[in-house]
Amino acid sequence: MTSWDAHRAVDAVWKLEAARIVAGLVRMTGDVGLAEELAQDALLAALERWPESGVPENPGAWLMAVAKRRAVDRLRRDERLDRRHEQLAHELATRRHPLDGDEDLDAALGAVDGEVGDDVLRLMFISCHPVLSTESRVALTLRLVGGLRTDEIARAFLVSEPTVAQRIVRAKRTLAAERIPFEVPEGPDRASRLSSVLEVVYLIFNEGYAATSGDDWTRPSLGLEALRLGRVLAGLAPGEAEVHGLVALMELQQSRSAARTGPSGEPVQLHEQNRGRWDQLLIRRGFASLLRAREAGGPLGPYVLQAAIAACHAGARTAEETDWGRIAALYEALVRVLPTPVVRLNQAVAVAMARGPREGLALADALTAEPAMKGYHLLPVVRGDLLSRLGRHDEARAEFERAAALTRNVPERAILLARASASAASASPAGPAGAAADAAPRAAADAAATVRTGPPAVAAVPARTGVTLAAAVRAFLDRPVLNEETVRSYGQTMTRLRRHLGDDVILTEVTADEIGAAFVAAWGTAAAATWNRHRAAVRSFAAWAAGPERGWAADDLAARLDRRPEPRGRTRPMGRRQVEALLERGEVPLRERTLWTLLYESAATAESVLALNVEDLDLSGRYGRVSARTADSAHRAGNDGNGGGVGERRVRWQSGAARLLPGLVAGRRQGPLFLADRRPGPARTPAAGDLCSHTGRGRLSYERAEYLFKRATRELDPEGNGYTLRLLRHSRLAHLGEDGWSAGMLRDLSGHESVRTLAPYVRSR
Amino acid sequence: MRFLMTTQGDAEPDEKMLAEMGAFIEEMARAGVLLATGGLEPGGVRITSSGGEITVTDGPFTEAKEAIVSFALIEARSREEAVELARRFWKIVGDGVGHVQQVFGPDLDPRQG
Repeated sequence: MTSWDAHRAVDAVWKLEAARIVAGLVRMTGDVGLAEELAQDALLAALERWPESGVPENPGAWLMAVAKRRAVDRLRRDERLDRRHEQLAHELATRRHPLDGDEDLDAALGAVDGEVGDDVLRLMFISCHPVLSTESRVALTLRLVGGLRTDEIARAFLVSEPTVAQRIVRAKRTLAAERIPFEVPEGPDRASRLSSVLEVVYLIFNEGYAATSGDDWTRPSLGLEALRLGRVLAGLAPGEAEVHGLVALMELQQSRSAARTGPSGEPVQLHEQNRGRWDQLLIRRGFASLLRAREAGGPLGPYVLQAAIAACHAGARTAEETDWGRIAALYEALVRVLPTPVVRLNQAVAVAMARGPREGLALADALTAEPAMKGYHLLPVVRGDLLSRLGRHDEARAEFERAAALTRNVPERAILLARASASAASASPAGPAGAAADAAPRAAADAAATVRTGPPAVAAVPARTGVTLAAAVRAFLDRPVLNEETVRSYGQTMTRLRRHLGDDVILTEVTADEIGAAFVAAWGTAAAATWNRHRAAVRSFAAWAAGPERGWAADDLAARLDRRPEPRGRTRPMGRRQVEALLERGEVPLRERTLWTLLYESAATAESVLALNVEDLDLSGRYGRVSARTADSAHRAGNDGNGGGVGERRVRWQSGAARLLPGLVAGRRQGPLFLADRRPGPARTPAAGDLCSHTGRGRLSYERAEYLFKRATRELDPEGNGYTLRLLRHSRLAHLGEDGWSAGMLRDLSGHESVRTLAPYVRSR
Repeated sequence: MRFLMTTQGDAEPDEKMLAEMGAFIEEMARAGVLLATGGLEPGGVRITSSGGEITVTDGPFTEAKEAIVSFALIEARSREEAVELARRFWKIVGDGVGHVQQVFGPDLDPRQG
């Protein structure tokens, strides 16, 4: 066995045994952090010894024995052994057979060994404890129960390894600080704690489910990991209907994993999926779990109901056979226990399928006032679909256009824009489809809609003839005037565009907007120089294709591609992950962490953020008022896009700062939010407004704040100087621009006076 | 990753082994690893297709030692994990021959690489 093979073998054994070993160690030591450390020691011992000695007869027992021995050593060294022994003996005495005085820890543990399964269940409950942040729960569960390595978790969640390590460290610290007991909760707590466990498992599942085949392989495999965790949980808590419901839901959703993406990775709607590619084995397992859920009894919970809906789809041999009446009834029950806007939207779809678009539309219309639905593109998609089925094409077009503006998925946007123009054609009397729809009486339109199958989904664009994108690109690159280097460079650009837009699209039907959107998706986050290089290639292609001898392009295809100023030196924004890692760094004091988070989230200037006073904060509204006099001169009175009074502007933050601020305010009622480390010397008494009456300390100065930030970011800066605070604002604006924020929205957030200054951040669409 | 574990041979299991195997199978199922398992009739029916002609032959056949007699379909995170589970299985069964083969299902459509 080579050492590489041995490492993989150890890793495989570890993943099988980790939960039991860690759980046993937590029981033994009463400390999740220590247990994990000891488990890692045992793993290291295996990595050292197994390549030479071979994998032992019973590898799980070997690992457990090593870990226990180290635990005893460690507890003895820390003089915690006797205390822990007593505790354990007491626990055992109160639970089962009392211990004799001379029985040692091993025997005590032996008595506990029979409850290994329960320990794993306890481990799941403690890893998913609500006292931890969601991210920490997910990371800790995958680490302790799933046996995944930090780097595997990091890759799966597209974050850096230190970030994951940090989340785990923080979680363990919190569990210790809050003295969370290692137990399966009973009584009124049990239901809410269990739902926290289910939530974490389903979150992991969805993270994998959202990943398509094009991504890193570890992301899709997260779905299987969650399924596995769910199955383990169902074995440990067989009396809980919702656990079986969740497993059923995941089995049924996973059964469609092969069918839900097309050959080039594009999503395939449920009603268009090739049902022959559904995994019948998983469907049967899903049905079996659903049956167990029903047997467990109790009221129907959200997971059981969602699984029942998934089962309706899985049981239909063709999309036409779907029992929409039953699905609509199940959604009505689901809305009662889980009245989220997304569930209500799905209900609208199901009702439209079962009882016609008019009833569905009424439900969807009720959602337009929901704040949570504001940026959600599927609401206008559903409304557009229902409106067009009712023959209200003008309104449908507006909805599709709104949806296209909201979605970040490029192929989907293209299809939505096509639907919008199809609706526009139907709405004008000249359009043949429009004439037919106008002539059709409402009742007939309703009837036609009810026999249509599948949920309202994006319709296929009718096939037409003309030069395809792939053929045009081939001809473009095949010209003798191009040298080899240019062909290679242009080729890269065109390959990415073909992947985004599809080889078979007809070039005359491609719009500049679509090219712009594909461009943003491909290179929106790239450096300006990269963006400009690809832009040059597309411009050349567009000019060539639109040339008089060809006339293949209807539009100036490069019209939406603005040249980006190429930043010099330090104005290049920080990467999102770099910012995230910085804000999550463990050793950063609360004041700095809050300041940086606030600066980033608000995209405000450091001057205005440092000028914030405690009395001017609205913690629940997540904003603070800065009077223009104290803030820097760039935001003078009168610049007020945020609805504040004249002469003040608002600094708005988000969840990160909202979590940190209460700790920093720490009961203070007034005075500067960010305080200096020390009281000012007698010679430098600051103005009364810059002095905290609670602590006698002055306001944190810009210079000091800047210095601390530079020091903290020195190793991130390629030039080794450390970054300026201004870069946080700059980075935030750049990131929001990438996310599609308009200049006006950026101005409202950041308080820039001119939209023009913000233009470099805004991406062409 | 899915794997099919198969065993060959004609050994008669004794009661102790059946009990141990039952416990092992239950544990694998509870761990979310085992998707399906079963035993196969010895021999069965042999189908031969040659030059467009299909021949059906009833068993039993002579090479009973090489016939597949049981299978387990498992969902493992790696080939090593599948092999480790096979090791545990064979520790219970004792002597014999088996195979572990990855299953390429609809999940791994060759078109998607």
